[in-house]
Parts: sequence; structure tokens; C-alpha cells
Amino acid sequence: MWHIIKNEWIGLHRNRAFLGLSTGFMMVLLLTVVLGTLQTHLQQRQYESAKNEVRQQWENLNPMNPHGAAHYGTYVFKPNSLLGSLDEGVNGVTGKVLRVEGHVQNEIVHSEASQMQAVSKFGKLKSALLLQYILPLLLLFVAFRSVNSEKQSGRLKLLVLQGGQLQRLVWAKVLAVWLYGMALLLLTLVAYALASSSSIDANTALRVLFFFLSYGLFYFIISGLTVLLSTLGKNATIALTTMLGIWILWTIFLPNILMSTVDQWHELPSREAFKTAMKADRSKGIDGHNPSDERSKELKEQTLKKYGVEEVSQLPINFDGLRMQADEAYGNRVWDKHFGRLREILAHQKQDYQLAGVLNPFISLQNASMGFAGSDNYHHQEFLVRVELYRRDFIKTLNDKHAYGGSTTGDWQWKVDQGFFKSVSDFVYQPVRLSAVISHYFLDLVLLLAWSALVSLLLIFATRKMPLL
Amino acid sequence: MIQLIHAFKSFKGTPAIQDLSLQVNSGEVYGLLGANGAGKSTTINMLLGFVQPDSGSITIQQMDVTKVYKKVRATIGYIPENVNLYPYLSGFENLDYFCRLAGLKYNRSDLQAFLTSCGLPKEAHRKKVSDYSKGMRQKVGISIAYAKKAKVYLLDEPASGLDPLASNELSDLLKKLAAEGAAILMASHDIFRVREVCHRVGILKNGKLIQELRSEDVTTNELENLYLKYMKS
Repeated sequence: MWHIIKNEWIGLHRNRAFLGLSTGFMMVLLLTVVLGTLQTHLQQRQYESAKNEVRQQWENLNPMNPHGAAHYGTYVFKPNSLLGSLDEGVNGVTGKVLRVEGHVQNEIVHSEASQMQAVSKFGKLKSALLLQYILPLLLLFVAFRSVNSEKQSGRLKLLVLQGGQLQRLVWAKVLAVWLYGMALLLLTLVAYALASSSSIDANTALRVLFFFLSYGLFYFIISGLTVLLSTLGKNATIALTTMLGIWILWTIFLPNILMSTVDQWHELPSREAFKTAMKADRSKGIDGHNPSDERSKELKEQTLKKYGVEEVSQLPINFDGLRMQADEAYGNRVWDKHFGRLREILAHQKQDYQLAGVLNPFISLQNASMGFAGSDNYHHQEFLVRVELYRRDFIKTLNDKHAYGGSTTGDWQWKVDQGFFKSVSDFVYQPVRLSAVISHYFLDLVLLLAWSALVSLLLIFATRKMPLL
Repeated sequence: MIQLIHAFKSFKGTPAIQDLSLQVNSGEVYGLLGANGAGKSTTINMLLGFVQPDSGSITIQQMDVTKVYKKVRATIGYIPENVNLYPYLSGFENLDYFCRLAGLKYNRSDLQAFLTSCGLPKEAHRKKVSDYSKGMRQKVGISIAYAKKAKVYLLDEPASGLDPLASNELSDLLKKLAAEGAAILMASHDIFRVREVCHRVGILKNGKLIQELRSEDVTTNELENLYLKYMKS
């Protein structure tokens, strides 16, 4: 088998057109890795700088009322994904900055796409774009003649007469093409590892490994399928056109059609409808700034009873802080309800879209690639949840200070100093560990494996039936 | 030794080979003459085990081709009309590759010796096959069979398209192989070459062997007249 693979590689190596194309592709691939990493480092610096600046502003606030500080709020910036320089995923279109403040859960804003002059259908020139769209095309062009040329030239007869086994011959052709793809993939990942060596930890390394595995399986599917068509086709042109048709279907049409179908099945509410529903539910709760609100009165009665006093002025705490926090708690429940439903719909969409990998392994590859790169919508949603949890903690700290910090009800002039602001913890985002989310990508891996197995079986079957004359 | 006894083969009801019996002994070159579609290639493909006969017996070196075709193939050298080697490899590399495929491990000098004894000039050994003439490719094809120590050679229109010098070299090479004990069956419609190289000649028409004669018993002109007579009849 090794002799056949070696012979295939010699053939490729001595083909000047192929060599030129491969060299050019390698250069572009390396360039995307280098540029991607430089961009990531730049964004990381900008992120750190913005984060520090905002924190400095917060810590250097003039003494003010804690709830006033809650309205002043702060900003949270979305850090780069772990393998964002390889696969940007949805990060280009999702926002990067989120304002954290009392009473409201703001939307994340300032996406890169919103600041670009033009948006390509295929996204930015990242390694994933080349690895997902261009490299398979190269494999396809290498493989489409592989078996057919042996048949057409009559060389297959000579090979068989020399004792060459058809199964071994065909599998060697598949492996020769697949190894070419794997070599380019490996080159990309090695370049990435060298360029980002300082920031690679065990979690990132594991993600890279699964990233490699997903692409490896997909390249096997492409190599195997093209060699299969080369085995079955009466001439190489049929194999090439069929495979190009499959490529277009898999990469352009099916993802759009299937995503639209999934959107229809699990429809998300419109932005306006979602906001209106949130607002309607929110209005049913305590209004933190309105003491005459019915629910506020109820809370007041409970508090007076708890402390055994008649008037709020007799309370040892600041009731305004309690009311503000009750307002927050209600708002949080409303957020949990509406965003929970939204996340549920998104989860259903993700599941069904993952199942579309049965029809299209390219979808499984894209899901796995973004997932292992930490740049898919699931990771984005995780980030939003972490920010919301931080927001709740942040506001509660301020409201608690307002309530229990020593002021009395109605004393809005009471102020806290910078020492307190410094004691409020900053938002620290710990990247999601792969072990915690890997179950979300099992289906993609299983489908890629299933496709590989199917292609293998078809290859075995087709080779058995392959006519020699 | 090559032997066909009462072999029949038809494709979709159309007879291609009808009651064909012939024998090629070791050390003998047998020429199978016939027009296009006479059944020469079908006969060779049956001997190679690529086409199964409907009935009759086909043996090579006393082994039934239909039953132990893999074992039989190990003893056969097959030279098609166009020996399509890997164009990006040299003659030497092609020979090395095909030998390795057959599980044969030869050193550099052995491989060079095979090529040289099959008439490929030494300076051509390292040239890419894409730069070879048809005759040179045939020499590499024969050296592949020679390195395999083939006992039987099956040649399908080997002289077609060769220049006179290359054709003459091929004749010499076949005579040499026969002298070393090989049984050679050569399908052709080149009457002059068949008469010159073969010990015996068979004329095939519509899948039937209609005449078999010894080359030494006829002149080239007589053979040509005989062939034309049968073809026109």
C-alpha cells in the first residue's frame, strides 16, 4: 500500500501545475494564520486596554450614591475566542461590548460587521474559510482522475496482472489524497501553534485536537467520495462535474435551505415582539423608583413587620435599597423567562441544524469547527449568561450597600467612596472548558464518522464491482 | 505452455469465440492473425482471466485460468498495444514500482540489467517515460514481464505504430525470450512481422480458427494471399 501512496505523491510532486497551486495555497494558508494571529493579538490588546480603562473609570468614580453608581454602570467587553484566529464563527456579526447597569439588561453591541464597508458571503479571510471551502476543492481536483485514469489508460490491467489488489489500489489512492489534505491542515495548525504558543493551554490544545479530528474526517469523506466517483464514472469528467455539483450543494445551497427550514420550524420572536413582551412583563413587577407602587407597598409592609417597626423611618436599614433590589429580582425573573425561552428555541434550532448533517456533512464540519474554536452561537450565549450573572451580582452589591451600608430610607444624598467602588469585583471571563460543552458537538462528530463509514462501505462495494475492461 | 480447448464465448448472444482450440508450447512464438473484431483481444482477455469463457478449457502452465487466475497471472507477461506506464516516472522507476507491486525486490543493478537486456539504452533509464517513444515504452513493458520471470507472454498488437527499427528490435527481443523458453502468443494483423517472428500462425475469423500453419512452410506473400482469401470469403 505504501508504494502506491508514495507513487501517487511522486506524481503530484512532479506535476508543476499542482506544485505551483499547492505552494500558492500554502502561502495563503500561512498568511491567514499569521494575519489572523496578529489580528487576535491586536484585538486582545485593545480588549485589555478598553477593559482597564473602564475599570479605572469605575474605581475613580467620585463619591456617589450606590444606586447612582448602578445607573452609571460599567462596560463588559467580549474577549476573543480561543481559536478565533482559525475560525471566527459568529463573532464577526455578534456584538463585542455590553453595558452593564441597573434595571435593564442591555443588548450586546458594536459587532465587527457593523463597522465594515463590505461583508463577504463567505466571511472574513480566516483559515477556516480556506480549510472548509478551498482545500476540499483541491482534494477534489487531485482525486477525480485517480482511478479513472488507470482504467482509461489500460494501466489498471497491468497493475492487476502484477498482483496489485484493487481494494488496496483504490484505498491507497484515497489515502494519498487524504494525506495531502491532512498535511496542509497540520501545517496550518502547527503554524497556529507556533504563532500562539504563549497562549496555548491544555483546554486550547484539546480544542485544537478535536478541530483537527473534525477536519480530518471531512477530508476523508471528500477524498473517499471523489475516488469513489472516479471508480464508478465512465470518464473523469463525469466524476469531476458530479463532485463539483455535490460541493456546491453542500457548501452553498443546503446550508441556506436547511437553516431557513430550521428557522421556520423553531421561529424566534421578532426583536420588536420580544422587547414588547419583556416590557409588558416587566411592568407587572415592582417599580424600584415609585414608592406608591402597590407591590412596593406590600414589600414595605413585610419589611416593617420583619423589623417590628411602624414607619420606614424607624428601620435600621435603607428601604429604598431593598425596593431597588426587589425590582432587580423581578426583572431578573422576567429576563430568565424570556431569554430562557429564546435560548430554548436556539437550542432546538441548533439540534435540528446539527441533524441536517445527515444530509450534509459540511454542516457537521462547520458546527464542529466553530464549536471547537469556541466561536459558535452556543459559546456566545454562554458569554451572555455569564455577563448577566455578573450584572446581577454587580447590581446586588450596589443595592445591598444602599440598603445596609448605613444610610436611611430616603437619604439619596448618602455617598460611598472610591474604596467601595474598588472593592466591587470586576468581570472576569474564564473561557468555557471543552469538557463542559463537548457533549454539544458529539452529534457532529458522530455524523462525520457515520459519513466516513458510509463512504468506506461504498468504496469497498464499488471496488468489488469495478470492471477491469 | 498455453492451451485453449474448444473455447466458446459470446457477448449478449453474439458469438465472439467459437470452438477455439490452440496450443503454444514453451520456446514457441505463435502468431494470431485476424481483422479487427475477429476475436484476438477476447482470446487474450480470456487467457488473462478477465473474460470468462462460456465453455471449454483454458490452461496456462497446466493451471486452469478460470479457477486459479491469480496464480496464473503471476506467470504471465502482458504487453498491450500501448504500454501505458506512469509518465512522470522514469523507465527505471516504473520497473521498480511494478516489481514492488508484484512483491519482487530487486536492487538497482538488477533493474538496470533487466532494462538493458530488453533493449532499453542505458541513457534512457533515468528519463521520464513521457519522453519515451512507443517502442521504448514497450521495452519497459517487456522488462516488467521479464523481471517477473514470466513463462508466458501475451502480446496484443505489439508492432502497431512502431517504426521499422523498433519493430525489428521487438522481433529480436521476442525471439530471444522464446529461446529462453517462454511461450509467446502474439495477436496481430501485421502479416510480415508475424511471418518473421512466429513459429506457427493461426488465422482467426469471426472467433473461429480457420487455418493454422508453420511459418517456415509459407513465404510472406503466400501468407498474405491466404489471409486475404479468407478475409474476403
